[in-house]
Amino acid sequence: MTDSYAVDVEGVSKSFGAFKALNGVNLRVRQGEIYGLLGPNGAGKTTLIRLICGLLAAHAGTVTVLGQRMPNVAVLRHIGYMTQQAALYPALSVEENVSFFAAINGADEGVKDALELVELYDRRGSVVATLSGGLRQRCSLACALVHRPELLLLDEPTVGIDPQLRVQFWESFRRMAANGTTIIVSSHVMDEADRCQRLGLIQYGRLLAEGSPADIRAQGGSQNLEEAFLALAGRKAS
Amino acid sequence: MSGHRVRAITRRLLQGFRRDRRTLALLFVAPIVILGLLGYLMRGSTSSPSVGIANEDSGPLGVMVADALRHSSHITTTDISAADGDAGLKDGSLVAYIVLPSDFSRQAQNGNVAPEVHLEGSQPGVDAPVLQALQQAMIALASQVAGRNVTFQPQIKYLYGGKSYDTLDYFGAAFVGLVVFFLVFVITIVSFLNERSQGTLERLMASPLRRGEIVLGYMLGFTVIALVQAAEVLIFSLAVLKIQNQGSVFLIFGMEALMAIAAVNLGIFLSMFARSEFQAVQFIPLVVVPQILLSGIIFPVSTEPKALQYLSDVLPLTYAVNGMRDIMVKGADLTWSSLQLDAGVVAGFCVVLIAAGTATLRRRLG
Ligand SMILES: Nc1ncnc2c1ncn2[C@@H]1O[C@H](COP(=O)(O)OP(=O)(O)OP(=O)(O)O)[C@@H](O)[C@H]1O
Ligand SMILES: [Mg+2]
Repeated sequence: MTDSYAVDVEGVSKSFGAFKALNGVNLRVRQGEIYGLLGPNGAGKTTLIRLICGLLAAHAGTVTVLGQRMPNVAVLRHIGYMTQQAALYPALSVEENVSFFAAINGADEGVKDALELVELYDRRGSVVATLSGGLRQRCSLACALVHRPELLLLDEPTVGIDPQLRVQFWESFRRMAANGTTIIVSSHVMDEADRCQRLGLIQYGRLLAEGSPADIRAQGGSQNLEEAFLALAGRKAS
Repeated sequence: MSGHRVRAITRRLLQGFRRDRRTLALLFVAPIVILGLLGYLMRGSTSSPSVGIANEDSGPLGVMVADALRHSSHITTTDISAADGDAGLKDGSLVAYIVLPSDFSRQAQNGNVAPEVHLEGSQPGVDAPVLQALQQAMIALASQVAGRNVTFQPQIKYLYGGKSYDTLDYFGAAFVGLVVFFLVFVITIVSFLNERSQGTLERLMASPLRRGEIVLGYMLGFTVIALVQAAEVLIFSLAVLKIQNQGSVFLIFGMEALMAIAAVNLGIFLSMFARSEFQAVQFIPLVVVPQILLSGIIFPVSTEPKALQYLSDVLPLTYAVNGMRDIMVKGADLTWSSLQLDAGVVAGFCVVLIAAGTATLRRRLG
């Protein structure tokens, strides 16, 4: 049953010219699950996320999101996408940015909640161009979840975020997941990986290993998640 | 000063260009296109305006003057009757007509000739060759009338414009619309490109926004700015520069609004083909200068080489400029078929550009 999965990626390949960025990726994420995408730079994480929200079209395979084949504009209102670089309007204030993304996603409320979640409510009047990198990242996250999407795609959301706030972010991710939001998050940070319910390791455009953090530890033969990953990656590469 | 560091900057610039083939191409193509066009336009122009001749003289000298005019290299002539002259000026088939009155020969014998010269008057630059041709015909005439000095007092009448019009009045009408068109075009192309480079376009594409909604939203936003600008330009032109205006201010404003909408959509459409602000900036002269040269502002379209006339006929600005002149110099209103055509064509361009902008939008992320 495809319907029980929020995201179902089957045999997806994507090339840029002669370069194969994704090669036969299969991936299923259940509703309310937090799924971590891990992999070195250039592995294909961002490309996979773009395929899931329909920004790119696959050359082979299918992507099904919330029961609909992608690309599909109707599904997009239920997806929140936080891009890897904080993509914001520098001339607008924090609140104006968040309100804009709320409006284009058809939500009029939730701006205050989103700003409070990322602790930017007090800075809501600041112009984005004057914000520090981490503050921009927070504003970008607020823009992605302001319309309370059913599926959140977060591309390295905690880069540049200080440790205290990072803990709070993961608290809120867990709360949202408990309320039924599906979250796919890419990361390089291993202690974050440990907070995911399931992990997928991507390298050279292939899904090398998949499972809960405990499964990954077992497969990699190490109690340390980072070492387990390096072992898995090294084994497949050689 | 370190030569090493200066060289590093210079080298970095040139390395960037080596990768950016499109900017490089534009950098070298644009000047050739612009200068080539200008050269072709100036050398190839058939700047001999068509002039009607109505010879009503009962004596022999009228025939002689008409003949001299026919052989003039300054003008192209057709024989007409004086009654048809104004119609010819209005429909644009003539830029002037000359009437040699029935007592022309007698006037000449009396030493004082007064042929009537009717000028259309809305196009600067075409009046001079007409008067020059007539002057030469008169010199020929003087040599025929033995033993007398013949003074020459043409009766000049303007259908539009006239003596009180100066260069600014003629060009002003066109430039009022042009200023808005180009400034709006530039800000649209740059801000749409920003949307791409700062990554927000990717976010828009991942939202339920439809392409048409993006294009229309942009169009409305910039049109608001453009209309404020248009109002300012108009007030300044009429109140401060005192450019003469025969038509309705509301019509001018309406025409400006149409041009602004066309400019916004042209900007969106062309920004699809620019990958960087660098490239966009190169587009600007390539789009702007040929349109200024070919839209009939400086060189009337009818005097262009034939090949360029076809090009002029497909440029939206040609119609916009013509419409603005119709309103401001000729006092046209919406019952004029020429103004209906101009406004209709500019509106049609808007629709085509909206569709083209919308159609090209998605492709880039696919
Ligand atoms: N538009 C594109 N054109 C050409 N190659 C591309 C394009 N987008 C991505 N690639 C290539 O595809 C590969 C995967 O890129 P992707 O952005 O998915 O990596 P990533 O896993 O997100 O890496 P990072 O951790 O650095 O963000 C890279 O080698 C990248 O250079
Ligand atoms: Mg990435």
